[in-house]
Amino acid sequence: MDQTKTKGYKKIKSWLKLNKRKPFQFQEDAWQYYLNGYSGLVNAPTGFGKTFSLFLAVVIEALNASEINNKKAKDRLQLIWITPLRSLAKDVARAMRETLLELDLDWHVGVRNGDTSQAEKVQQKKSMPEILLITPESLHLLLAQKGSSTLFKNLKCIVADEWHELLGSKRGVLVELAVSRIKGLQKLEKNQFLRVWGISATIGNIEEALDVLEPNLEAKRIIVKADLEKKIIIKSIIPDDIETLPWAGHLGLKLAYKLLPIIEKSKTTLIFINTRGQSEMWYQHLLNLEPELAGRIAIHHGSIDFELRNWIEDALHTGQLKAVIATSSLDLGVDFKPVDTVVQVGSPKGVARFLQRAGRSGHSPHEVSKIYFLPTHALELVEAAAIKEAAKNNNIESREPFIMVFDTLVQYLVTLAIGDGFDDKIIFEEIKNTHAFKLILPEEWSWVMQFITSGGDSLGAYNEFKKVTKDEDGLWKVKSRQLAMRHRLHIGTIVSDAMLKVKFLSGGYIGMVEEYFVTRLKAGDNFRLAGRVLEFVQVKDMTVIVRNSKQKNAISPSWNGGRLPLSSNLGAVLRRKYNEALDKTHQDEELDSVYPLFLLQEKRSHVPRNDELLIELINNKEGFHLFAYPFEGRLVHEVLAALVAYRLSKLLPISFSIAMNDYGFELLSETEIPMDESIAYEVFSPKNLTDDITLSINSTEMARRKFRDIACISGLVFQGYPGKYVANKHLQSSAGLFFNVFSDYDKHNLLLRQAYDEVFYQQLEEPRLAAALDRIQNGAIIITNPESFTPLSFPIKVDSLRENMSSEELEQRIARMKAESEKII
Amino acid sequence: MTITSHGEELILDKERALYLPKHQLLAISDLHLGKSAHFRQAGVQVPSTIAQSDLHRLSLLIEKYKPETLLINGDMFHHGLNADIDDFAVWQKQYQNLHLLLVKGNHDRLTSADYAAMHIEIHEPSFCLGPFCFIHDAPQNTKEELYPISGHIHPGVTIVGKAKQRLKFPCFYFGNEYAVLPAFSLFTGLYNIYPKTKERIFAVTPGNVLEV
Repeated sequence: MDQTKTKGYKKIKSWLKLNKRKPFQFQEDAWQYYLNGYSGLVNAPTGFGKTFSLFLAVVIEALNASEINNKKAKDRLQLIWITPLRSLAKDVARAMRETLLELDLDWHVGVRNGDTSQAEKVQQKKSMPEILLITPESLHLLLAQKGSSTLFKNLKCIVADEWHELLGSKRGVLVELAVSRIKGLQKLEKNQFLRVWGISATIGNIEEALDVLEPNLEAKRIIVKADLEKKIIIKSIIPDDIETLPWAGHLGLKLAYKLLPIIEKSKTTLIFINTRGQSEMWYQHLLNLEPELAGRIAIHHGSIDFELRNWIEDALHTGQLKAVIATSSLDLGVDFKPVDTVVQVGSPKGVARFLQRAGRSGHSPHEVSKIYFLPTHALELVEAAAIKEAAKNNNIESREPFIMVFDTLVQYLVTLAIGDGFDDKIIFEEIKNTHAFKLILPEEWSWVMQFITSGGDSLGAYNEFKKVTKDEDGLWKVKSRQLAMRHRLHIGTIVSDAMLKVKFLSGGYIGMVEEYFVTRLKAGDNFRLAGRVLEFVQVKDMTVIVRNSKQKNAISPSWNGGRLPLSSNLGAVLRRKYNEALDKTHQDEELDSVYPLFLLQEKRSHVPRNDELLIELINNKEGFHLFAYPFEGRLVHEVLAALVAYRLSKLLPISFSIAMNDYGFELLSETEIPMDESIAYEVFSPKNLTDDITLSINSTEMARRKFRDIACISGLVFQGYPGKYVANKHLQSSAGLFFNVFSDYDKHNLLLRQAYDEVFYQQLEEPRLAAALDRIQNGAIIITNPESFTPLSFPIKVDSLRENMSSEELEQRIARMKAESEKII
Repeated sequence: MTITSHGEELILDKERALYLPKHQLLAISDLHLGKSAHFRQAGVQVPSTIAQSDLHRLSLLIEKYKPETLLINGDMFHHGLNADIDDFAVWQKQYQNLHLLLVKGNHDRLTSADYAAMHIEIHEPSFCLGPFCFIHDAPQNTKEELYPISGHIHPGVTIVGKAKQRLKFPCFYFGNEYAVLPAFSLFTGLYNIYPKTKERIFAVTPGNVLEV
């Protein structure tokens, strides 16, 4: 059907004309494909109306339909709009409501997420709106409701907004599973008009992104790509003297004074800081530098109370703020018109993330995005040069989708069981048709079913395990209300430590801090949250009670967030930049400024060329250090370091402590590390790789750390919920303990296997490691013996996250450790 | 490993048990029988073989030391009656002549009749023997002349070596004021303890007990 002849299309066109606007070609394309029954993916730069390319498609179709839906009906839901961030939903809803009002279409737009009030949720249950904006977690919570299976009868479309953001996480799998269920429900009703669309920024694997969202290759599928380019200006903030920048660190306050003129001359500036704790420090520091900014700057991160975040977002819209210090909480598509400048503090570790953040400024079509990069340590200037080049060449990373995540599957099945129940044969077919579980074997499915129905094994004369049971109607259900309530509190795949809400003695919430941080506070202690200095009074009913403090400075809580690893795209560019810096074969001002550091590196040791692997052996009172620099990113280095340590430990009994960053890794030992050129080629050999990696993963803590999330997601460990969850002490346990008991008593547990698989496939990217080892074999290995730490080695040495690897007899090792230090903690 | 404390010989076993040869008494703490079944009843998939395995380790200890008395220094049963406790009742039939003492801990909340049915002699809050006083949770500053031996906290010790190496083990703690036994059950976590000067710590490694 040609849409231009339809009345819906004509109405939209004349409405746009009234507002002196014209649709972009990709929007018209998306509308047409949608009308013709296609599912697909819209790929366009930010600011060009991606939302309207799909929202209006659904509206056009509705305007074309002659009959009007029954307004009272429970099942009038037409469009589900999935957003990764709560702050996005509010904005998109506002835009949709305005449009619907102007088009005179009597549709309701509802928002449902962690911030939605209970009253509104009850209202939605009585009567769903036509359009529902929802997070993946809340969508699963909806499926966990009794009677939810009737809600989707007339649903026309599911849109996954910012799909690239969800794709590379287990939240993407939540979306896949929910879509598979809703499709299945429509199939039962013989109503198959559901189309599934995604909206994605440019990523390296855009075709795969579509395959994950619509895995049925026989369905009508299309990628609609906007032929538009967003202009971006990238500028580094260069220190006047390289000596002012430290060799390591993540904070970067030394260059903060250079931001003041940038903030002053811009309308509104967004300053992105990588962690919440550091953002609190930056806020304080900027105010100390320029007290005039008081009241004109704000701080925004995920642990700040909802009301406060709302206020900041509104103030951003109206241009009341000069600058906002933000974390990834403001990463995505929120359209703040007054923002014309973005600052990135510290390495963004990936090109895609950097461009995404740049796109927060100059949001309207044809405006230019402007981003400044502020390095926190000297070598980050090289990263800045690498990012600029990768951005120029559009060398953008892929987001690898998760597959075979049994923790998420276990959670999903229990979710269905506390809702309307499920038929295992039907659900098995549904999940086999998802991208995440298309490789699942019947015996793996049986294991998962057994895990939730009989607790993992059916041995023993009788089974006291109670969770999911078969009901009289033949469906699998959870009968216990208590169990259902506990499960609802833990739906989702974002794992964080137990959090407590922070509240003023006089009333009013400020945000959240980790329980661990609170346990270290005494009454009268001060800490910083949401840019204020607060005095700790007490913990009462799972809430931290505080009052305003007169102190100027205080500690910042450290929220445990994962550190971002350098992407492989960036690693390759970075290696090349190291060559160029020393040879001066470049035009990057960043590399010029960092040149003295390269001279020092060359003087003390060596600057590795593109085809060289540098190994530095340093001996000091801490012990014997071995540093190696493959430039493959933190995650790969973690595995590579374990591999090299494992191979060295086969030569003689030795114990290592292992540290790594994005450039290289360190092995630290109390005894001399055997190393020469022939040993180096041997331990960095691709031979026997798979077996050696397996053995080295087994002898470190990597899988155990992955299991921490798995245990939470699958419901083995309860994290608690801020202010809501009353801890059930009898059922408290730790992921580490489960890891031990499964390793000892239940080796075939698929959740345990998943922990190893996640290290092996997600973290390690075996092809990437093999390619790195091949590169090393075919290049030169340079071994130097510097007398002190070098500019390259120092940042690794100060890194605190460490692994252990040992081939010594345990008793000897303890005896030796005891002899060398009397310190026991 | 054999040590001397308050004039008596004590054997620290790597299976997280203490043997007093003079009194032919085997002491363990924090058995937490029924913990796995309790978790399973609540829908948490703890392997059901854990309790059996703990009982099996206990059997090996009884065969090794042939004690007259088995003392459980609190937290014998994790919660209420459940399948694991039925298993215990069956297991117990092999040791008709073994004198079974329980010093009550915070988890031990079965009725007197339940304990009587399993021939468990109850002591509350402590059971004293020679220079020692077994108690589940040790008082911080004891004025008594007897030396308290407690459990409850599931003690662990972290050893830090040169070159940033660390190891963590369950341990026996013999402090100036009181002693703490390691938790017997393998389905328990560790609470790090920090010894003062002259206090002794014995790490329980997979193969041995070592003073650290």
